[in-house]
Amino acid sequence: MTGKQKKQIFGAIQTALILIAMFIMLVPIIWIFLAAFKSHVDVYQLKLFFTPTLENFSVVFDDPYRLGEKLLNSTIVAFVTILFAIPIATLAAYSFSRFSMRGETLMLVTILATQFVPAVVIILPFFVMFRDIGLLDTRLGLILVNLAIVMPFAIWMIKGFIDGIPMDTEEAAMVDGSSRLQVIRNIVLPMAAPGLLTSAIFCFIIAWNEFLFALILTNKDAVTLPIGLGLFKGEEGDLWNLLSAAGIIIMAPMFVLALMIRKYFVQGMTMGAVR
Amino acid sequence: MAEIKLNNLTKRWGDFIGVDDQSLHIKDREFLVLLGPSGCGKTTTMRMIAGLEEPTAGEIWIGDRMVNDDLPKDRDVAMVFQNYGLYPHMTIFDNIAYPLKVRGTDKSEIRPRVEKAAEQVELTEFLHRKPKALSGGQRQRVALARAIVRTPKVFLMDEPLSNLDAKLRVTMRAELKHLSRALQITTVYVTHDQIEAMTLADRVAVMKNGIIQQLGTPDDIYNNPANLFVAGFIGSPAMNLINGSVTDGMFVTTGGTRLVPVKSPDREKAILGVRADDMHVHEAGQGDIDVTIYAFENTGESTLLTVQWGKQRVIARGDRHLRKDQDDVVGISLNQDHLYLFDPETEDRIEM
Ligand SMILES: Nc1ncnc2c1ncn2[C@@H]1O[C@H](COP(=O)(O)OP(=O)(O)O)[C@@H](O)[C@H]1O
Ligand SMILES: [Mg+2]
Repeated sequence: MTGKQKKQIFGAIQTALILIAMFIMLVPIIWIFLAAFKSHVDVYQLKLFFTPTLENFSVVFDDPYRLGEKLLNSTIVAFVTILFAIPIATLAAYSFSRFSMRGETLMLVTILATQFVPAVVIILPFFVMFRDIGLLDTRLGLILVNLAIVMPFAIWMIKGFIDGIPMDTEEAAMVDGSSRLQVIRNIVLPMAAPGLLTSAIFCFIIAWNEFLFALILTNKDAVTLPIGLGLFKGEEGDLWNLLSAAGIIIMAPMFVLALMIRKYFVQGMTMGAVR
Repeated sequence: MAEIKLNNLTKRWGDFIGVDDQSLHIKDREFLVLLGPSGCGKTTTMRMIAGLEEPTAGEIWIGDRMVNDDLPKDRDVAMVFQNYGLYPHMTIFDNIAYPLKVRGTDKSEIRPRVEKAAEQVELTEFLHRKPKALSGGQRQRVALARAIVRTPKVFLMDEPLSNLDAKLRVTMRAELKHLSRALQITTVYVTHDQIEAMTLADRVAVMKNGIIQQLGTPDDIYNNPANLFVAGFIGSPAMNLINGSVTDGMFVTTGGTRLVPVKSPDREKAILGVRADDMHVHEAGQGDIDVTIYAFENTGESTLLTVQWGKQRVIARGDRHLRKDQDDVVGISLNQDHLYLFDPETEDRIEM
């Protein structure tokens, strides 16, 4: 076998593997896409050709499902979460990055360690606590929980971006006449902006998809989209066409955000200083 | 404009001493160069003046104010960083304007002042660009313009030319000199390059291991080095240092050659210092001593002869028309008016 043939065979294998991987990942999504536009009777047949219908999308917003309320809950919870998470995490990350504090490493590791505690372990204390202070089934309760979930992640991620800003630049700004807060506003924030946006999007995705806590801590008023999926059970079994339509509504913003991340993530990574 | 006084300034990190109990009085409008090898505490000293590093002990005075507890922004200094520290997300105009904006200068005043500063460093046509789109030399000039756009009490410059290529460094050095003469602002300039120090400074402070070895005019430190370190550090090529002793008023090399008369009482161990320029090259037999050439270098403006002298090698500078070859024998004589004697134990200079 010549080297060229080897290369060709290797290339073919590579392509085949990628296609297989893609197929495995995409099949459920394609299935959902098709099912969302099928009528209930068509769902259980693996037909590729059928009369598409938009009816599922209107049914899910009607009684008794009222997906609109869940959509609103999810949107509010996810947005308010990042609205608080990113500024707080930025200040925390800046402090970790630029000041040496007593027990700094310990604090950073502790923050990270909270991520490793299985949610099911702490969900019961949360439930009891929220019941006692009346936060069960409220958006505020969910926001607080989501903040606890995304903050460690946001702090670590943003710290990475701030670490990448050269000290020289900040010190130059200080000598030029800036207070510490002016340095953060005029230098650090603009330079870390792509990183902050990337972190915000990641946090949004986490909050948007959060399932376990929302399942236990809400039952009616504050139900979010992922929990809303559980509604689509009828006497005749799972209503896959409606489930799929709701699934698409959940996924749509993710697609958009994934595209944005791709662009900013690269920018966030390659940002850096002028030397 | 102001004088700077450092009183018993010390910086320690744990056991490590960066700057060791140093006092220095920099005069109003003086251009003072902190010169020394890498790691000797020059940057640390400068950063303490700027307020970016807190002294472990000692006082820093700028003008008639003790600034130890002042934030960098309140010290009224301008600094040029080694890596320039430009703001990559701002245009050159905004980079230069930043010190004015952040200090609340009148909006109408900002544009003319930025333009004037840009003109002084010949950056006018780049004002709308971002730092990324400039060359190293241009970035360096932005950093300079950002410093001169205000009239601070003090300029601080930390190896501002070290990231430039050799040719540009020479041009920028002259520009800096011209600018500093025009501006007349007290300047502290850090470098490890003795030529920069010699050419720019009113006075040079030579540092080693956190201690100022000698403070004096460039002439002074070149012609009257206080110790072995300064003698070896200043001058290119470095001063030749020859081991030997003083016997009966003559310097005798360790090899036993009775070299030159020196005005010093006898001592068992001494080091004779002589610059390459004060070693004259003759035909063999016509100097004080005959030596073999180890390497012959022609730099264009002069020739450098590394010669084997007993167990040591020394460098002599010859006429630019001199042509010799490796292993040739030449005569060497020393200019007896410019000889230095050092004590190898204390490393101090012995007056003679
Ligand atoms: N933050 C620091 N912590 C510990 N040691 C430091 C710190 N900053 C500088 N040093 C040490 O202090 C010495 C002097 O540093 P510096 O002033 O930067 O030297 P230079 O003369 O090259 O500018 C060096 O040996 C350096 O390693
Ligand atoms: Mg330095």
